[in-house]
Amino acid sequence: MKYEILPWIILFLPLLATAVITLFTLRCRTKSSLISISAVVTGFVLTIVFIAVNGWHPVASETAVNWLSIGDLHADFGLKLDALSMMMMLIVTGVGGAIHIYSYSYMDEDAGKARFFAFMSLFTFSMLGIVMSNNFLMMFIFWELVGVSSYLLIGFWFEKPSAGDAAKKAFITNRLGDFGFLLGILMVWGILGSLNFSTLQSSIVANPAALGTMATIAGLLVFCGAMGKSAQFPLHVWLPDAMEGPTPVSALIHAATMVAAGVYMLCRTLFLFNADALHVIAYIGGFTALLAALMAVQQNDIKRIIAYSTLSQLGYMVMAVGLNGPTPAMFHLTTHAFFKALLFLSAGSVIIGMHHEQDIWQMGNLRKKMPLTFWTFLIGALALSGIPPFSGFYSKDSILAQCLEEKNYLLFGVAVFVAGLTAFYTFRLFFVVFFGKEKSDYAKHAHESPLVMTLPLVALAVFAAIGGFIGIANNYGSQFVAEHETLSLAQQVLEPLHAPVAMLIGIGVALAGIFLAFSLYKNAGTDPLPAKLGGLATAMKNKFYLDEIYEATVIRLHDLIATICDMIDRWIVEGACIGFVRGGTDLTGRALRLVQTGNLQTYAFLFVLGVALVLYFVLGK
Amino acid sequence: MNASLMTLEICVMALGTVLMLADFWLPDERKKFAGYAAVAALTGLLVISFSGCGACSLGGSAFNGMFVQDGLAIFFKRFFIVAAILVLFMAVEFSDRIAGGVSEYYSLIVFALSGMLFAASANDFTMLFVAIELITITFYILTSFQRGRLVSLEAGVKYLILGALSSSFMVFGIALVWGTTGKLNFNELAAVAAQFETSKIFLFGVLFILVGLGFKIAAFPFQIWAPDVYQGAPTPTTAFLAVGSKAAGFVLLLRVLFTAVPTVTAHWMNLLIVISAITILYGNLCALPQRNLKRLLGYSSIAHAGYLLLGVAALSASGQSALLYYLAGYLFTVIAAFTVICLVTRHLDNDDVSALAGLNQRSPLLASTMTLAMASLAGIPPLAGFFGKFLLLKAVLEQGAVNPGYYCLAFTALAGVVISFYYYFGVIRAIYWSKNVVDVSPIQLSGPIKVAVCICIAGMFWLGIFPTTALDMANEAAKVFGK
Repeated sequence: MKYEILPWIILFLPLLATAVITLFTLRCRTKSSLISISAVVTGFVLTIVFIAVNGWHPVASETAVNWLSIGDLHADFGLKLDALSMMMMLIVTGVGGAIHIYSYSYMDEDAGKARFFAFMSLFTFSMLGIVMSNNFLMMFIFWELVGVSSYLLIGFWFEKPSAGDAAKKAFITNRLGDFGFLLGILMVWGILGSLNFSTLQSSIVANPAALGTMATIAGLLVFCGAMGKSAQFPLHVWLPDAMEGPTPVSALIHAATMVAAGVYMLCRTLFLFNADALHVIAYIGGFTALLAALMAVQQNDIKRIIAYSTLSQLGYMVMAVGLNGPTPAMFHLTTHAFFKALLFLSAGSVIIGMHHEQDIWQMGNLRKKMPLTFWTFLIGALALSGIPPFSGFYSKDSILAQCLEEKNYLLFGVAVFVAGLTAFYTFRLFFVVFFGKEKSDYAKHAHESPLVMTLPLVALAVFAAIGGFIGIANNYGSQFVAEHETLSLAQQVLEPLHAPVAMLIGIGVALAGIFLAFSLYKNAGTDPLPAKLGGLATAMKNKFYLDEIYEATVIRLHDLIATICDMIDRWIVEGACIGFVRGGTDLTGRALRLVQTGNLQTYAFLFVLGVALVLYFVLGK
Repeated sequence: MNASLMTLEICVMALGTVLMLADFWLPDERKKFAGYAAVAALTGLLVISFSGCGACSLGGSAFNGMFVQDGLAIFFKRFFIVAAILVLFMAVEFSDRIAGGVSEYYSLIVFALSGMLFAASANDFTMLFVAIELITITFYILTSFQRGRLVSLEAGVKYLILGALSSSFMVFGIALVWGTTGKLNFNELAAVAAQFETSKIFLFGVLFILVGLGFKIAAFPFQIWAPDVYQGAPTPTTAFLAVGSKAAGFVLLLRVLFTAVPTVTAHWMNLLIVISAITILYGNLCALPQRNLKRLLGYSSIAHAGYLLLGVAALSASGQSALLYYLAGYLFTVIAAFTVICLVTRHLDNDDVSALAGLNQRSPLLASTMTLAMASLAGIPPLAGFFGKFLLLKAVLEQGAVNPGYYCLAFTALAGVVISFYYYFGVIRAIYWSKNVVDVSPIQLSGPIKVAVCICIAGMFWLGIFPTTALDMANEAAKVFGK
């Protein structure tokens, strides 16, 4: 591996930026943002240089320094550089870079701009750490760091109570998943005696039954981590609330990168999961995709709709992993990063144009006022809906094909239905926002965003459009499939024809969804759906009452346990135990003090009494 | 006879005499310099003691074995000289509170030092008694030196009468031992002691000697004098009493128990365990309600006698070396605390804890010194007190297999440490978080006293963080009993 120092620089540049901003330039908004932007852009350029020099599969793919050795535990601080991690590095620094530049303008009026960029750099550092780490321990540390930076960014406008609550909700829900993750890591370490991915993989390849009877449990525990980070049912509740953060944060963290970390981790450690575990994973993914798509249909907040679609797409990816398809999963993750970041940033542009109004029923007819945003949003929407030749079509098609290949027709049905729903709710949003009549004064006076914001939109739009056939699937294929043949550009464009059934059904339901949305919402002033669906629409709108169910069960139970513990601590531990000991000691001290009368005769008497005592103790028996 | 072995003692005696004579010629305003001159001279002696030349080489005895110069003696002599130097720094600061005879005060400290040096080398009951009386009688005077203050006189009288009582027990004990065995020299006694193990008269004698030594170190049940005397005596005297006199008691106790009557000592395991445990509890419990700083440190000194007795009770080489190490840390810690008290109460009538209020504003150096001293006494890492307590407890627990009582002892010691946190941190709280701070005038510190305070701080950290050197010295000294 040439230029071994480069990955280290790429990793630590954002941390350096955080340190510099926090320690020195916190008062200077422009300088801080430029430092942060240049750190991530430099990282992007260096990643390209590194790939250009070493190719996608460097000979020695790991570089490590020994970090600590305790007994038999040797923990390295090491980087793993192969096609999987380098693609992720490109996404994190590339998409991240575009979003950083976009934020420069988006956050311009915010007093905490410098703080914002410090957090963004911290996040970039943590995310790079996850994708580059070569062992579970290091990945877990960065996993938690990502959790912290996500917490900081969701709660960035901490003066809003809803932002603070959302940040806490995200952090605590993730903690639940991470608890399982940690148990899983410990179990793997306990059984196999190593934390390094390559070592683990070779020991499992050498002996597939190495994990023994615990294989399924260990796999599912590790999957818990992914459930938290990638917001899979039942730990999905935090993601929609996380939209309280600034829109670039939603784009970068809660759409493009962090939530993908769970999927990435599953692909990185795929060798750990046996058939049973993968089965569970696939069904949880499929269920999440369906549930989230249904919820998205009846939301009215522009960011929440996209957030639910993120949930749904993450469900797709997890399902693909569960169906033994890491290549389709990572392919979809990558194209999703492009078009979902694009959608969020376009939504951000709309929100800025609408003076921070987020209700889609207050918008309307914005295609005239914001033409560039309109076109980029359209590209993102087409990609998300899976219309050829946009990137989303190719990746979604590969997932559908994977379902058929595994002969799992139930999940294929779910995936197809969700694809139709996706097209429907995406274009519901699209038509309500960009067509029809202006539904408020803000919409009448909306304006296009400045160039610093629209340029990243254009760049992302290009990739959202062509991402399906520029070799992304090739790279992942070479990672996961032993005898992988590299496809030419033309072959990539025509790749979906290998599974014509999946392709035709996929395109069909997407077009049907768009048509349905067109007919219902072309000129709608209010939502016609509740009248038609009745109770189902209300349930969708209220997210199937899951938050309320959690409130009534998990949180109540938690509060009850906390109250009992508090009582025990207050009355039994503090009152009875400590109070008794403390009071007793104090009393003894006060009583003994009375012995010291200050009277010499008493002292002399006590002295001689002492002598007598000692004599008796030794000689009296 | 090899009188050159006693070079240190002779020099110290001569220094004391010179200081006393200097009083005639020195004008009053120059008397401070007598103190600094004594400091300089003692520093010179300390350097000589480390040079390893002639008088300070290991091995050798004088006066038919009454006086020995071994590792233990050298260790303690260095210890006493360092203590005297630091106490003299304090005494110079204290001199304006002494009505007359400032030079005498210095010279008495030096004479007490010479008694301690003899005690370090005593290998015979006669020598032991002479050394102890030399120390104690000088301390009678040092205690009541503030003739204008009633408390000082009262303390002196109490110390005198109780001291005389204990001395009478001790001299009676020596007589009994000599009467039964016909031996006074420790080595000779050790050779025959086994024959007298069952003789009650002999055991009476040894116990009476221990009563006298127990009085010196303020161990239960002979601790009763300590709080009153500590409170009433002039602060430098208290410091020297707490460090020097106590250490002299310990060196003699070690010699008697492990050189003179080792076979008897082996049977007294339970006695030592009980005394150590009760001493720790008594000191710490009584300190809890205390508001007077010097009295509080008096009780704390009783508790520390208990901790030090852990090393004796362990009856092992590691216990003895832990004791020596602990004493070294205790030296810097206690003198630091008393120096601060001495400086803070300069213009005050009482030594109440409230006198420390707002010290962090008045003098950050003194505030941090006091904080460190209290933390070290309480046994907080990385200070000397922590590592010393660790070694002592380790030594005790190592013996747990021999006698389960050692586990109880270790537990008692830990309980004592926990209790002590309360009053030590009460002092720290008074410094930083007092509600009604009356006096915020800055405290002026002279150059030399800053040096002394910094030596103490450095000593606390050095012993706590780099224990190896001091521990090697302690191990070397404890080897004396291994023969």
